[in-house]
Amino acid sequence: MATNPLGIDLDHYKWGFRKPENYVFKSRKGLSREVVEEISYLKGEPEWMRAFRLHSLEVFLSKPMPTWGPDLSSIHFDDIYYYIKPTDRQARSWDELPPEIKDTYERLGIPEAERKFLAGVGAQYESEVVYHSLKEEWEKLGVIFVDTDTAVREYPELVQEYFGTVVPPEDNKFAALNSAVWSGGSFIYVPAGVRVDIPLQAYFRINAENVGQFERTLIIVEPGAYVHYVEGCTAPIYTTDSLHSAVVEIIVKEGARCRYTTIQNWSKNVYNLVTKRAVAYRDATMEWVDGNLGSKITMKYPSVYMVEPGAKAEILSVAFAGAGQHQDPGGKVIHAAPHTQSSIVSKSISKDGGRAGYRGLVKVYKGARGSKCAVRCDALILDDRSRSDTYPTMEIDEEDVQVTHEATVSKVSDEQLFYLMSRGIREDEAMNMIVRGFIEPIAKELPLEYAVELNRLIALEMEGSVG
Amino acid sequence: MDHAVGAGTVRGFDEATWQELSGAWGEPPWLRKRRQEAWEHFRSLPLPAPTEEAWRRTPPEKLAWDGLQPLVARGAADAGDALQAAASLLPDRLAAVVIRNGAGVRAEGVEALTPRGVVFCDLRTAAREHPELLEPFLFRAGLRPEENVFTAQHVAFTTGGAFLHVPAGVEVDRPLLVVDWLAGEGFLAPHTLVVLERGSRATLVQLRSGRASGPALVNAGVELVVAEGAQLRFVQLQDLPDQARSFGVVRAQVGRDATVHTLVASFGASLEKLFVESWLDAPGGSSEMLGAFFARDGQHYDVHTLQEHRAPHTTSDLLYKVALLDSARSVFAGLIRVHPGAQKTNAFQSNRNLLLSGQARADSKPELEIMANDLRCTHGSAVSRLEEQHLFYLQTRGLTRQQAVHMIVEGFFSEVLDRLPVEGVRFWLEARVARTMGAPAPLGRLAALRGLLEEVTARP
Repeated sequence: MATNPLGIDLDHYKWGFRKPENYVFKSRKGLSREVVEEISYLKGEPEWMRAFRLHSLEVFLSKPMPTWGPDLSSIHFDDIYYYIKPTDRQARSWDELPPEIKDTYERLGIPEAERKFLAGVGAQYESEVVYHSLKEEWEKLGVIFVDTDTAVREYPELVQEYFGTVVPPEDNKFAALNSAVWSGGSFIYVPAGVRVDIPLQAYFRINAENVGQFERTLIIVEPGAYVHYVEGCTAPIYTTDSLHSAVVEIIVKEGARCRYTTIQNWSKNVYNLVTKRAVAYRDATMEWVDGNLGSKITMKYPSVYMVEPGAKAEILSVAFAGAGQHQDPGGKVIHAAPHTQSSIVSKSISKDGGRAGYRGLVKVYKGARGSKCAVRCDALILDDRSRSDTYPTMEIDEEDVQVTHEATVSKVSDEQLFYLMSRGIREDEAMNMIVRGFIEPIAKELPLEYAVELNRLIALEMEGSVG
Repeated sequence: MDHAVGAGTVRGFDEATWQELSGAWGEPPWLRKRRQEAWEHFRSLPLPAPTEEAWRRTPPEKLAWDGLQPLVARGAADAGDALQAAASLLPDRLAAVVIRNGAGVRAEGVEALTPRGVVFCDLRTAAREHPELLEPFLFRAGLRPEENVFTAQHVAFTTGGAFLHVPAGVEVDRPLLVVDWLAGEGFLAPHTLVVLERGSRATLVQLRSGRASGPALVNAGVELVVAEGAQLRFVQLQDLPDQARSFGVVRAQVGRDATVHTLVASFGASLEKLFVESWLDAPGGSSEMLGAFFARDGQHYDVHTLQEHRAPHTTSDLLYKVALLDSARSVFAGLIRVHPGAQKTNAFQSNRNLLLSGQARADSKPELEIMANDLRCTHGSAVSRLEEQHLFYLQTRGLTRQQAVHMIVEGFFSEVLDRLPVEGVRFWLEARVARTMGAPAPLGRLAALRGLLEEVTARP
């Protein structure tokens, strides 16, 4: 029986459907074995990836929808395009964009060309000069930073060794979906001992599949190396796609450190259901900085499996829910080795009937002695129509540990407002300052330009919140 | 003589069984009808799926009743064990009702209450003599049969219990005691109903204990109805024998400007699944919820709490402490829910878990669902172990290691006990902690050690 490193029985697919050579792909809605085969065929993928996709499809079809969390009942899997050939992408005209998106671009001060890219109007936006000089530098160091499709073609051994090992398709229904139909995403390989000083941004690695519905990102940080990856951007990404389901897998080896920063600002029709997970080995550090401003529903619980002694995890999460939004982010830390440490800080803000909160897991396995974990969740509710939820879970199987959880929910206090206003600050500006102060512990961890944009965005969202 | 319903013939939880229970009570038609409705639910409801969030950590099959038969006691013979348990607890009590396998076997001191209109008796007597007081509340006020198969079972097969009714404005100044005793083996569904009318005041302490000769399942329900401005303190001490498993619901309805204090303490039973809830339905209501759980060997406790704020200006304050020895396991799942419009709410929740052994396991799920904005709401949860430093410090003062551990456990629970102004219960709890520790007596009683204890617990 032929199996590959993913443990998938290839024989099972031996008699499977084969594509005629002259096949012409036509985008169509719905998910089937044929669609998955076509995706694989069009990408010219090796057999193992095709088998992986087909296996994942079966897993997806066999798994029930989650019975907990936000309401996903209006996702219709048959009404979604799972793959659109880059060349077939509908060029949208600037005029078709909803005015609020255009307005936001305007006020964030985003350059014209970039706006078009973000809005899906321009086919590409490339900051060629910056990108190329950086690229040369990375290549000198042996760093690989390409989109995942390219990686499958150019670095098949590396990809095959790690792909699907951190988030197997069996993990959950949406990870299975992504595994079956994934396209795009980043592949990063940092050799041992290499420090990448400038954050790698998906932004630089521009191609048509930069922003996809089913991105697949794989990051491998070899021993002693360091990398900071920044996904997405704070500017709103306009898309007509209703479902975004990415998978991110990160391997942080001995003594290495990886930071992954996302500020998600999908347009408010998107279901954003993402599986992000990292494995941290001996003395390695994994940090997730996760901001959620956009989307209709977000379910995203970046996790760190600390599998060897001395591993560390840090998760910073900020969520803002306005009208019609349900932000259900959080984090998971799994202590599976002694002397591992983790901290989770979550800040959520809800307004105009929005619902934001935190859902998380702290798991300490037996034998993970001397481990420490602290979770802190704060929520700010700005009006009486909005809602905040906190759902932490702690499962502790080891006696020699320190685990704490604290949460508070409050409104903007009248005393704080009064104090600021007594200093001559207008009420809306005072409110703004208080909210900015509230998210400060996370904003200060962002690269400067992101922090600035985050603050501007929050200010935009806050408009009209006073009288 | 005690015997299972239909003794001699093996009979499960069927129609004839609840009808026989109902007949044994001589209960009014409306109550029979409530059993009938519950029976219909019991028949149609499945066991909760083990994948349901509330049951993930305690498979519902662990509370299965296969092979068990409801216990029904006739007559007060051999009630000595129950009476003895009542004798030593709460010496300053005003009155006591002792129930054995569902039947009242003694009511002591209740005549002092009668002139003031207070009714305090076992539930079967209440069903015969005061049906008009029961009818508006029994299985209506808090516990509903349609919730799940266990509550349906509880209502259909209720075997007995206790009833307290305090009329408007009456203050019962000394504590009342209920002893709910299990003898033999089988299924017992005790129910406690407490109704405090406007502006009244009472303290009720309930001990659930017994001696089992074989496997037993106790499916208990407590309904606390506290009307406007009334004040209730309710204490439940669970000390069931090892062969028993227990399912329980304690639900308080807190009226306008009313105050309810509950303390739930568990030491017995091999397995307990417990739901403790405060429903704050009217402005100004306030609820204090205290919990003390001490398990050892393979004991398994799974406790859900709910602070349900449905009206503005309501307050709840929860402190649940869990200590685990050996391979004991606990689950705490506490939810604060603040409904839209419940402004000016203050809600606090704290869960502390102390692991005393490498094999012990504690899960904690403190949850918040907040749908109002003008409020103060915090929760905290911690899992910790014995601090070697503390142990060392105590040992340098001449305590053995075992005594030092005992002292730290006492200190751990003292935060709960100190908030309970019922001395007899505090003594009982300290003695019960000592018993689980395998120690002859509580340490804290020794005045010389009191100071030492405070010194230790005051350290950060």
